[in-house]
Amino acid sequence: MSTQLLLFQVLNGVGIGMIYFLLSVGLTLIFGLMRFVNFAHGAFYLAAAYIAYAVVLWTGSFWWALLLGPAFVAILALAIERLLLRHTYSLPHEAQILITFAVALFIQEVVILLFTPLGHNVPVPAALSGVLFLGPYVYPAYRLAVVGAAVLVAIVLWIAIERTKMGSILRAGSESAEMVSLLGINVDRVFMATFALGAALAGFAGVLVAPLRGVEPFMSAEALGIAFVVVVVGGLGTLSGALVGGILIGLVQSIMSTLWPEGAQLMIYAAMALVILVRPTGLLGRI
Amino acid sequence: MTDPILVADAIDVRFGDFQALSGFSLSVQSGTIHALIGPNGAGKTTLFNALTGVRKPSGGSIVFDGHTVTRTSAHRRVHYGMSRSFQVTALFAALTVAENLRLAVQARYAAEGWVFWRSPDRRRDIRDEVDALLADTFLTDRADTRTGDLSHGGQRSLEIGMALAGRPKLIFLDEPLAGMGIDDVHRTKGLISSLRRRMAVLLIEHNMSVVLDISDRITVMAAGRKIAEDVPAKIRTDAAVRTAYLGSTA
Amino acid sequence: MRATKRLPNLATAIVLAALVVLPFIVPATLASQIAIFATGALSVAILLGAVGLLSFGQGLYLGIGAYVCGILVRDAGMGLLSALLMATLSGAVLAGLLGSVIVRRHGVYFVMLTLAFAQMGYFAVLAFKGVTGGENGLSGLPRQFDLLGLSIADPLSMYGFMAGAFFLVFLLVQRVIASPFGSVLAAIRENESRSEALGYPVSRYKTAAVALAGAIAGLAGGLHVIFLGFVPPSDIELEMSQRLLVIALIGGIGSPGGALVGSAFYTIVSETLSEIWPRWLALIALLLIGLVLFLPGGLWSVGRRISALFERNTTHD
Repeated sequence: MSTQLLLFQVLNGVGIGMIYFLLSVGLTLIFGLMRFVNFAHGAFYLAAAYIAYAVVLWTGSFWWALLLGPAFVAILALAIERLLLRHTYSLPHEAQILITFAVALFIQEVVILLFTPLGHNVPVPAALSGVLFLGPYVYPAYRLAVVGAAVLVAIVLWIAIERTKMGSILRAGSESAEMVSLLGINVDRVFMATFALGAALAGFAGVLVAPLRGVEPFMSAEALGIAFVVVVVGGLGTLSGALVGGILIGLVQSIMSTLWPEGAQLMIYAAMALVILVRPTGLLGRI
Repeated sequence: MTDPILVADAIDVRFGDFQALSGFSLSVQSGTIHALIGPNGAGKTTLFNALTGVRKPSGGSIVFDGHTVTRTSAHRRVHYGMSRSFQVTALFAALTVAENLRLAVQARYAAEGWVFWRSPDRRRDIRDEVDALLADTFLTDRADTRTGDLSHGGQRSLEIGMALAGRPKLIFLDEPLAGMGIDDVHRTKGLISSLRRRMAVLLIEHNMSVVLDISDRITVMAAGRKIAEDVPAKIRTDAAVRTAYLGSTA
Repeated sequence: MRATKRLPNLATAIVLAALVVLPFIVPATLASQIAIFATGALSVAILLGAVGLLSFGQGLYLGIGAYVCGILVRDAGMGLLSALLMATLSGAVLAGLLGSVIVRRHGVYFVMLTLAFAQMGYFAVLAFKGVTGGENGLSGLPRQFDLLGLSIADPLSMYGFMAGAFFLVFLLVQRVIASPFGSVLAAIRENESRSEALGYPVSRYKTAAVALAGAIAGLAGGLHVIFLGFVPPSDIELEMSQRLLVIALIGGIGSPGGALVGSAFYTIVSETLSEIWPRWLALIALLLIGLVLFLPGGLWSVGRRISALFERNTTHD
């Protein structure tokens, strides 16, 4: 492989990795605080992507989609947390997994009901429909914008978590939710807000990725699988874990798609298997 | 004098920046009751955890019955002859008293746990052992009670029974008398005292009168270190011990 | 799963009766599917009910069993029983290998990894499409199978075979649960650290349970291939893992009989509802939520509650 190709693949991989980061960060945040894995994560991604499709279809504005998608999903998440999840915190963690799994199934079926099982394309917003030339390679401008958005999200989240009061509550809560409640903070509200934020992030990713891949109802399972791989590789519960995991997986996929295209997806999971063999808690994990 | 069954040398246990145990050394002789006393937070349970393999020490060595077990897993140490009861009752709450004991006895017969083609009840010898343990711990009439429904004293007795089921060479008892009524305390004190005929006993206990009465040797801990070690009569009058306790129980 | 002292018992009788009656209630082909997926669901139920391990990936082993059986029958000309044996073994071996790695991970990590490995299996099938036929699956299998000289090609004999296979697995699971090995699994489920403190090598037991579940799923995969006459890639897709889990939960994981109840419910509902309303899975999803919140024992526990009512009315203290 020539150095130019390798360089391009690395850059491409980092780009994919940032998108995977965006896909996974909501999952890892929810786990970090609430100590459970949201199996409806892929479904939130799916729902927002389809909202984007519908909004673009009806209004032609991608920017509205970017607002409404995550907002709707956040509200949905709030409702699910209040009505369903809240009753399961005293139950073993399997209960939360199964409830969110059932919710995911329900959302998937509703999406198929409303939009048929077929996939649809979502047009790239006109302002970003150009291409960039990197050497001999053509890189779609929109893709670059998505990577940029992911980087922005990473920065904003990092600032929010490390530097704000809300963030310190989040960090303290991930050490001990009990302690946080003893300090007089309404843990219920923090849980609700975190779940909604995690869902919104998944939704944000869903809307952004929709023009890249189109939308189809079974992408929720694929997204969930990727998110799982990323957090297992990077370490569950931390922002940096999602970042490191995402970039590593993105690199694997990018390089593999030139060496062995049919096996690219498989290699992602093989990389995960390798990481857990060598470092069971993930590269940056603490549990 | 025979070799001690357990020799712990310069044990260090660190939790992040916090040094829970510093350079702690201990040796326990077979056929004796050795008590560990000290104020709360002295590191007694941490020491138990290090010795039984629940937490690997960051420094020092542990030799049990001639085997170096410093980094051996907890379940392997059981097979070497260690057995412990827990400070916070950790029994199989949904199972009966008899089943709890049966599981503890069964664990000693390593191959038995892998038998999948017949009922466990076929093993007469295990059933007999369970009956003996029920008698030892005064739980015979509560054998079929769901453990979670047992009284606190009953659960503490069962804890000891579970540890005894391992037929250990050294039994670790972590506050066995905690929360027990006066009759239970009396009977259990007799049981623990009788154990020295079959094994060595390492005992954490706050009930000072019992400790001073039945122990052959007492080690006093504070802030992760040993501050005194001697026969009960000497410990009773030791100034350093008084200071460490500051308002000690009697 | 709760062990019962005396085997065979009432549950055995109920399951046997249900299996005998089934082909009179539903078409034999549907009944075969019920038996096959009940077998698959048992692999989920035994892990969750007996050991407390939630697996989103039993479909992986069902799929492996299916492909192994299919390939051996088509390319190696293997007979029915040998191919099924190999399917079972392949499930056990793969599960044992993967299991030994992931049983050390606790709680949600274990669950996530089962899902991730299930996905991995699917992508492996796509990646090696020379061997597996990729998205087309494997076809060209013989459609006539002989069991000890008797053909099982007609639907009723096919059902008899499938029901027999399920019943054997059911008996095995009952026996294992009520054995010393089963009692150790129960102990691990109730209190893992205590089990370790008693001297049980917990990881080894968990791996064994995972391997057993993998074997059962592998067998189900082989049975499915015999029934269909080809190997569909959907056998290894995530949807299969989810289906087995849903069936196990609906039926109830407290007893191995639940797998049959759940499979019958799910299969019959999907057959009848899919004509009327294609999105019937949404109702299943709602049912699941209800089960988790209000009836964790599944449909089988309804039966147990009713019988408990009878007991309370007939015996007075």
